[in-house]
Amino acid sequence: MSRMPLPADRLVQPKLVGYDPTRPRPWLERLAYTLFFAALWAMVILAYGAVPALFRRFGWLSTTAGFLAYAVVEAVLAFLLAAVVALILIVVLRKYLGKVQERVGPMHYGPAGVFQTVFDALKLLGKEDFAPKRVDWLIFRIAPAIVFVSAFLLMVALPVAGGWVMADLNVGLLYIVAVSTLGAYGVVLGGLSQGNKWGLLGGFRAGAQLVSYEVPLALALLAVGVYAGSLRLSDIVEHQYGVWHVVPLFLSFVVYLVASIAELKATPFDLPEAESELVAGYNTEYSGMSFAFFFLAEFVELFLLPGFMVVLFFGGWHGPLFGLAPGSFAAGVLQSLYFLIKVAVWVWIFLWIRATLPRFRDDQLMDLAWKGLLPLALVGLLVAAFLRMFLEVL
Amino acid sequence: MSGLRFKKTTEFDEEVYAVHPDDYRGLLEALKGEGLDYPRSLSGVDVGYGLRVVVHLYGIENGRKVTVFTDLPYDAPEIESVTDLWPGLEWFEREAYDLFGIRFKGHPDLRRILLEEDWTIHPLLKRYDTGGYPLPDWRPAPWPEPAPWEEPEAAGEGGEA
Amino acid sequence: MRGPTTVEPVPGRTDELIINMGPQHPATHGVLKVVIGVEGERITRAVPHIGFLHRNHEKIEEARTYPQIITYTDRMDYVSGLQNELPFILAVEDLLGVEVPQRAKLIRTIFFELFRIASHLVWLGTGMLDLGAITPFLYTFRDREMILEITEKTAGARMLPNYFTFGGVRRDVHPDFFKDVAHFLDFFETRLPDYYALVLDSPVFQARAVGVGVLSRERAIARGASGPVLRASGVAYDVRKAEPYDAYPDLEFQVPTRTEGDVFARFWVRFKEMEESVKIIRQALEKVPKTGPYKGKVPPRVKPKPGARYRAVEISRGHLGTYVVSDGSERPLRVKHRSPSFANLQLIPDLFVGARFADAIAILSSLDPVFGEVDR
Repeated sequence: MSRMPLPADRLVQPKLVGYDPTRPRPWLERLAYTLFFAALWAMVILAYGAVPALFRRFGWLSTTAGFLAYAVVEAVLAFLLAAVVALILIVVLRKYLGKVQERVGPMHYGPAGVFQTVFDALKLLGKEDFAPKRVDWLIFRIAPAIVFVSAFLLMVALPVAGGWVMADLNVGLLYIVAVSTLGAYGVVLGGLSQGNKWGLLGGFRAGAQLVSYEVPLALALLAVGVYAGSLRLSDIVEHQYGVWHVVPLFLSFVVYLVASIAELKATPFDLPEAESELVAGYNTEYSGMSFAFFFLAEFVELFLLPGFMVVLFFGGWHGPLFGLAPGSFAAGVLQSLYFLIKVAVWVWIFLWIRATLPRFRDDQLMDLAWKGLLPLALVGLLVAAFLRMFLEVL
Repeated sequence: MSGLRFKKTTEFDEEVYAVHPDDYRGLLEALKGEGLDYPRSLSGVDVGYGLRVVVHLYGIENGRKVTVFTDLPYDAPEIESVTDLWPGLEWFEREAYDLFGIRFKGHPDLRRILLEEDWTIHPLLKRYDTGGYPLPDWRPAPWPEPAPWEEPEAAGEGGEA
Repeated sequence: MRGPTTVEPVPGRTDELIINMGPQHPATHGVLKVVIGVEGERITRAVPHIGFLHRNHEKIEEARTYPQIITYTDRMDYVSGLQNELPFILAVEDLLGVEVPQRAKLIRTIFFELFRIASHLVWLGTGMLDLGAITPFLYTFRDREMILEITEKTAGARMLPNYFTFGGVRRDVHPDFFKDVAHFLDFFETRLPDYYALVLDSPVFQARAVGVGVLSRERAIARGASGPVLRASGVAYDVRKAEPYDAYPDLEFQVPTRTEGDVFARFWVRFKEMEESVKIIRQALEKVPKTGPYKGKVPPRVKPKPGARYRAVEISRGHLGTYVVSDGSERPLRVKHRSPSFANLQLIPDLFVGARFADAIAILSSLDPVFGEVDR
């Protein structure tokens, strides 16, 4: 693809403010975004590995006060991690969309625009958090919290390396389904409570979408549980030594992929907020930090849903350990890097889909979910059950 | 088209019919029967002595281009609507009503289209200046003799008034 | 056929929601307001309201001399600015009896078709934005930028160049003009496959567009629809063929038509029109002399003889007609612009009612209205 240069004799040359798009500095961009990735890695190591290891090392977890302190520290760290994930993913999305669309993306704040989201967040903090007169005040205020907390709660169950998980629930899969559904409640309530017709329509659509994709999503997760013989996420990852689940459970993987895009409310399933149809859908009347919470939750989910996909289908933290003892801290550090790289690849694919496709219609989404994904998920469940039986017999 | 008061001339490549307001709808019905199925435009014109309604028609099949016009006095700008023949003229008639105050009898939904409902004047009339204020020295011109649609005794009279 | 005067809620009916779509809605391409009633997602009633961008060009033009009016006509369909000048100029040329040199005709035709491509690129980008795809918007606007650069080099302005004039064009083209246009055509032909892949061949787009907003041939003719909307319904009516103007009689091109009359057909027709425009410009580039007269002999004071003339051209959106009534003075008695979007928008009640809400957005973007010319 060739580009047309600006005509030299153009009377008014474009004014360059702060950066020069004709002189790109790709090395600076790469360095900045590598540092970003390293920061994310460090946060993950801190929240999932270092702090729990520290508490265990000194035996603080056995006392009530120590456990409470651990809980508080972990909660703060998880919140910080969520914030960092969102900050990074927002600027990565904008940069990536810029690359796809042959423009430069954010360029002004920080080297190659890496601090763009920080300034966006500061701007949102400075905005008045306005509520129109006709809103159902309590629900209007609670809804963003529900959305954010559900994304936040999902983070607790994410195993990033061997033994590195905040809460290794023995009903992990069930927990994922339950908590992610909770987030959709926040969207529906936020849409219905704001006394705005566009928000109402967005809430309706969110409700319809929720009912449609949650069922195949749950069935896809169930297939993984059946095949691995456990609902505990770390057991599921351990079960993938040798062959990743994506090979035997390919159907369930496809269902999970499509349903998680729908869960993300990203193109081509961004119906509840379809900005060209419903103005802004369920967050029409939200402003300031309430809006920022919706936004933050969306991007935390953009990290978590590929994260769970990696855990369930792509061997989680598995990768060559180069002689490090599994279970050691050094192995954990390396494993969390493998996990993050796999997640990054999937995040990139999600962003790619978002940059390429137009939007489906609401009835087409429901057609797809009920007539396409649901039978596919059931077949995937059958396949998982047969494979499990076959393995047991073996 | 017998019994209708009109005069047919040819200007450039178009047939131009000047028709009496009472026979306006009858002539257009007859023209619609001749395959002029595509409504190109309907416009009002303030010609100084009255208001002119000009309809431009086209035949998709035969390529005929026809212009029909009729003149109405300022004090009674009323004429039959032709929206049932060409539904595409619905908004054009509303526009002519909006800007000139020409009332189309039988129009399904005759209200202002470009201006708000609370406007009191019809701004394209020559009695207003571009700001919408009445011109103090504006007087209507006398009605032309003979009227454009009446067949003159001697040929050579232009169709335009 | 027609909507009620206003949309009032039906007493006792709670399943219908009355929504004001516009005039600040993101997908109304400007300032259209449609009051719609929806039952869930299905539209039960739709009443369009226009006039939010009304400037009364026609009154202003009555107070201006003929050369001054040309610059106002630009501002109707600002997306394909240059094309709007032509019907007025043709009508006045007819009344004046001016001969236009062949070279000027060809230059006008090249610009006319360049602006058709530019306008269709804007339509494609914004239309896909309405359907939820953001990327085509950036691609098409970048390509359109090249056309605007070419226009700027020759005419001095980008979107509203005020370049055509009675008897030809206002000044000779820039020395690089023919080279630039050829370069653009080569470039654009490498881009078209991308647009096909992103839009017409995309299964998601096809799911949204095929069978949506079907307009029958009879309804399209009776409603006075024109341009791609009419041709997608199976009527091969193109002013460039029906009453050729400028250099079109000498150029060979097809009029792409489709019979389905749905959103996909309207998108398809516009895609093919861009391809035809490329062919037309290539032929014109071969025929046009590099040097020669660019303007015919026009009296210094433009005073057409008394009379009236209606001339039409096929702009990007359809049949743009201008009716000029002259009383023999320097200012026209009346200038009436028959704008294609104005007539096409009458189809809103026909096409919206019964469609789903998301379909309404797709239908509106397939009608491609520009409110500068709807409201004038």
